Amino acid sequence: MSDYPTFPKWRHNETYLVQTNRKSLIYTAAETYLKPVDPCCPRTVVHPKARIIAEAGPIVIGEGNLIEEQALIINSYPENITPESEVEPKTMTIGMNNVFEVGCVSQALKIGDNNVIESKADVGRNVILTSGCIIGAFCQVNTCEVIPENTVIYGSGCMRRVQTERPQPQTLQLDFLMKILPNYHHLKKTVKAGHNAS
Amino acid sequence: MASLLQPDRVVYLVRGEKRIRAPLSQLYFCRYCSELRSLECVSHEVDSHYCPSCLENMPSAEAKLKKNRCANCFDCPCCMHTLSTRATNIPAPLPDDPTKTAMKKAYYLACGFCRWTSRDVGMADKSVASGGWQEPENPHTQRINKLIEYYQQLAHREKQERDRKKLARRRQCMPLAFSQHTIHVVEKYGLGTRLQRQRSGAPISNLAGLSLKEGEDQKEISIEPAPALDEVEPLPEDCYTRPISLPEVTTLRQRLLQPDFQPAGASQLHPRHKHLLMKRSLRCRKCEHNLSKPEFNPTSIKFKIQLVAVSYIPEVRIMSIPNLRFMKESQVLLTLTNPVENITHVTLAACEEEDPDEINSTAKVMVPSKELVLAGKDAAAEYDELAEPQDFQDDPDVVAFRKSNKIGFFIKVIPQKEEDGDVTVSFKIRHDFRNLAAPIKPSEEGGDTPAEAIWLTHHVELSLGPLAP
Repeated sequence: MSDYPTFPKWRHNETYLVQTNRKSLIYTAAETYLKPVDPCCPRTVVHPKARIIAEAGPIVIGEGNLIEEQALIINSYPENITPESEVEPKTMTIGMNNVFEVGCVSQALKIGDNNVIESKADVGRNVILTSGCIIGAFCQVNTCEVIPENTVIYGSGCMRRVQTERPQPQTLQLDFLMKILPNYHHLKKTVKAGHNAS
Repeated sequence: MASLLQPDRVVYLVRGEKRIRAPLSQLYFCRYCSELRSLECVSHEVDSHYCPSCLENMPSAEAKLKKNRCANCFDCPCCMHTLSTRATNIPAPLPDDPTKTAMKKAYYLACGFCRWTSRDVGMADKSVASGGWQEPENPHTQRINKLIEYYQQLAHREKQERDRKKLARRRQCMPLAFSQHTIHVVEKYGLGTRLQRQRSGAPISNLAGLSLKEGEDQKEISIEPAPALDEVEPLPEDCYTRPISLPEVTTLRQRLLQPDFQPAGASQLHPRHKHLLMKRSLRCRKCEHNLSKPEFNPTSIKFKIQLVAVSYIPEVRIMSIPNLRFMKESQVLLTLTNPVENITHVTLAACEEEDPDEINSTAKVMVPSKELVLAGKDAAAEYDELAEPQDFQDDPDVVAFRKSNKIGFFIKVIPQKEEDGDVTVSFKIRHDFRNLAAPIKPSEEGGDTPAEAIWLTHHVELSLGPLAP
């Protein structure tokens, strides 16, 4: 992907193209939410003040995701590499029906389906979440591993256990939000690829 | 700096059976004895039991029957959070027509914190929202109950023999003399249903108690001793070779919370009923007056009687500390707050040489020698704009500022030890206390006498932090 454009550092109030390949998800930082009308990733709701930063590569987000306020999904450069040197951009893939609760930080490169990252949780770059995982509130997972399916990480000591059922997709919540949020927030018209958030 | 307001920085000494140093917020003040009391020199009595999640009150007898557990609420066996009941719709065949299926509600328990559900241990969903969940039976219950009965009877017998001996020896003595003793024996094996909790001070008739129990003594309970086995169950063969799957193994805490079963596998962790909490009242051991009596209602946090020290004794707080240097004099700013509504006069005094209370101080302190006057606490002062500010002649060297019932003053500290620990300073504070609780005796002239002021002295220790590097 040598033709991948380099993006400037995140600036407030700017539109930011997340990724290419016709699966574009365009949004702004302040006071808007965007419902991508593009059929490739429909039914994803991004709350205001959520930040999705594709710094070192594109982010692909599936359908049915719920990204709540002040959540940060960032595909950043690894720490020991300066931005000037040539790095192969890596794609961050996020599957379907995931929930990113308020204030969480996710840098995981691969996230499967039906995961829940609870409030203020911190998921590192080398973690790979499979399906049905729940990262509990305020848990920091910085390990270099693949989290097996249906794992729950909870508690101040990041205890783990396996649950028998995966968390249910939040279809009711998504429908509700898609109806209600446009009534309460200003919507900005997008700059590129002509679809209005409405 | 918020760390200066930490409660442990200023401690008051309580002269009870033990010498206890505690912050004023954790102390009580008995206004009949006019002394500070800490939690260790008062007697604790249980007022009521309640469940912390459903806030249901329970009388003590019922609580004892249910082993101090709530009937409705459950604890997650995995993370000890409170379990909540969730409902799902499952298709179930109608009782009339087996071919048609209707949606029925099925309830299961789930934990919101660790996502444990009752389905994880194989407990079937119940059709009623509450009351359907049963705790598993302990296989040893019968044996344990029998043992308890036997030992209760034994304790009865021992107590009776002891009382008979005492009665024979001291016939004239009031039964009060051994009421204190019987309380300890009664509690030996958890008796107490027949023998009411005896408050010392209430006379009991020992002979009446004996006659009540004679009927019970008729049945003799005998137990078989526990059989000793020669052979123990051997360990499974793959005990050393089988790889451990960590999510399957219970932690020690999870295991020991269920001492009946102590399951080693997570699939055997059943939920338990929630423990009850209790409200307690405190009583001064010397004068038997109540120091703290909470409201009976579990939803109310107020107190019927609340004799806490912060509402009677002036409180010393540290306001600012300069850099403390070894053998150099520094000025520390302290505040004194007056909790009562009348004017209080406070005198500070440094501890004398060879004071038995002064074991912790590592610095010399010079306190102001003049008497400090504190204005009374006026609840309406902030609303009353026309109030004249009271005129106290304050020495600016001693008093830094004055604000309603608070005063800031300086003390001089000279650290004496050059070690790594905190610099601690102690001094005595002497203030006048008007006991408004004691009945005012009518004076001989027939006029109203104001409550007499008595002078109380307290020993205060401050922890001023480490020396500046």
